This record gives sequence, structure tokens and C-alpha cells, in this order.
Amino acid sequence: MNVSPTDAVEREVRIAAPPEVVFQYFVDPVKMMEWKGTEAYLDPRPGGAYRVNVTGREIVRGEYVEVVPYSRVVFTWGWEEGPITPGSTTVEVTLTPDGSGTLLHLRHLGLDAEGQVSHVQGWEHYLPRLAIAASGGDPGVDPWTQVQAP
Amino acid sequence: MDALRAIAEPRRQQILRLLVDGEMPAGRIAEHFDVSRPAVSQHLHVLLEAGLVSERKLGRQRLYQVRPESLEQLRQFIGEFWDDALSRLSRAAEAEQRRREV
Repeated sequence: MNVSPTDAVEREVRIAAPPEVVFQYFVDPVKMMEWKGTEAYLDPRPGGAYRVNVTGREIVRGEYVEVVPYSRVVFTWGWEEGPITPGSTTVEVTLTPDGSGTLLHLRHLGLDAEGQVSHVQGWEHYLPRLAIAASGGDPGVDPWTQVQAP
Repeated sequence: MDALRAIAEPRRQQILRLLVDGEMPAGRIAEHFDVSRPAVSQHLHVLLEAGLVSERKLGRQRLYQVRPESLEQLRQFIGEFWDDALSRLSRAAEAEQRRREV
């Protein structure tokens, strides 16, 4: 069985700002916090580490793999406490000029059985909690709402 | 969450990892473990019930494979995570661009 064709999550979005502007949101901690995180530490160079507190409690960390100004950022991605462990998945972001704006393409790789089966215990614990928060449901004391209203 | 409960058992995780590489008959799965064949069959039964693996008969053999749908839940969650994050990114970058154009 070949699971690879379905192992990635892909998203494409058009943004009415040029790649020079959009790129900064992946490498500048202050700008990063405008869309993702309540705290961000970023060392945006290949091999450089990053750590972003995405909800006030859930921490995403990994390493930058590629940093090509204004066109491409690749980084490893995982939650410190699951459900996806750091280093087990990779996110590729490419920015392409589109008129006066940008076409942003995001590919989240490694969400396959091989990479994730061993972490499924973590899903049981964290997915329901994260899913409630991510869908804007009752966040309780979880300060996810800070992220949604930057 | 039956699938998640089924997968919480270490031996069943090992079976799944084995099946990720491809379809396999029950006998060959059992060869990888030092437990009895019936014990392996029981684990396979739990995985089948949870929808994590599928079974087909080929002659006298029963072949098992991982159902990719079992990972769909995780992918769906990650998809929603990025939808949410990217819409915030768009709003932030577009606001920044408007400030620049002034």
C-alpha cells in the first residue's frame, strides 16, 4: 500500500501584499505573533531553531530547513507535548508573486502512517482539546482567543 | 474514539507500523512477535473493529493492510489549523501593505 499521495496537507491562499511583506511573517517574531502565537523565538537560518507558543499553552517548535528571502521557507514542525512530535513533520511554504500580491502555497508533510502511528497516543490526549480551541469553541481558560484576535 | 483506544496498545502500534510497509498475511505478521498466533489474531480483530486496518481473503489466507482513512482525522485537524492560521496571516500582511501604501 502506498500512503504517500495522501500524506500531505496542502493549502493555497492569495494575499494582497507582495512576497517581500508576506515573507517577514515567517521570520520576524513580532510579525509572527500577529498571526500565530503569544510568544515567538525564531532563528531564521538553515538549522536555526524556533519555538512558538501558539495558544498560550501549546508550544510548537522545530528547525528552519530552508530560508530563501521572499520566496521559500521550510521548517520542521511539531508540538512539544504532542499530538505531533517535534521533528516528525515538515512545512514547506512557497511565495510566488501574483500581480501586486502573493500566491502562498503551504505543504505540511509527514502526516503519514509511518511518521505518525507511534504518536497516536498523543493524539488521543491532545486532539480533542486542540480541536475545540482551533474551531473557536469554548476555549475555557485556554487563551487561544488571543491568537484569533491579534 | 475507538481508533485511538485501539492504537494505545504498544503491540497494536507495532502491527500497524509493520502494515504501513504493505499488505501482509496474518501468519507473517505473527512471525514478527513472540506472542501466540491467537493473540496476534485478537489484536488484528481489535484493529479491524476500530477501522484502522482492512482485511481481505485470498485463497486460504487473510491479508491485512492499514486503512489510510484512519489518519484522515489528523490531516483534517492540521488542515483546519492552517486554514485558521493562514487567514490571520493574510489579514495581518494585507493590513501591513495598506499601511505601506499610505
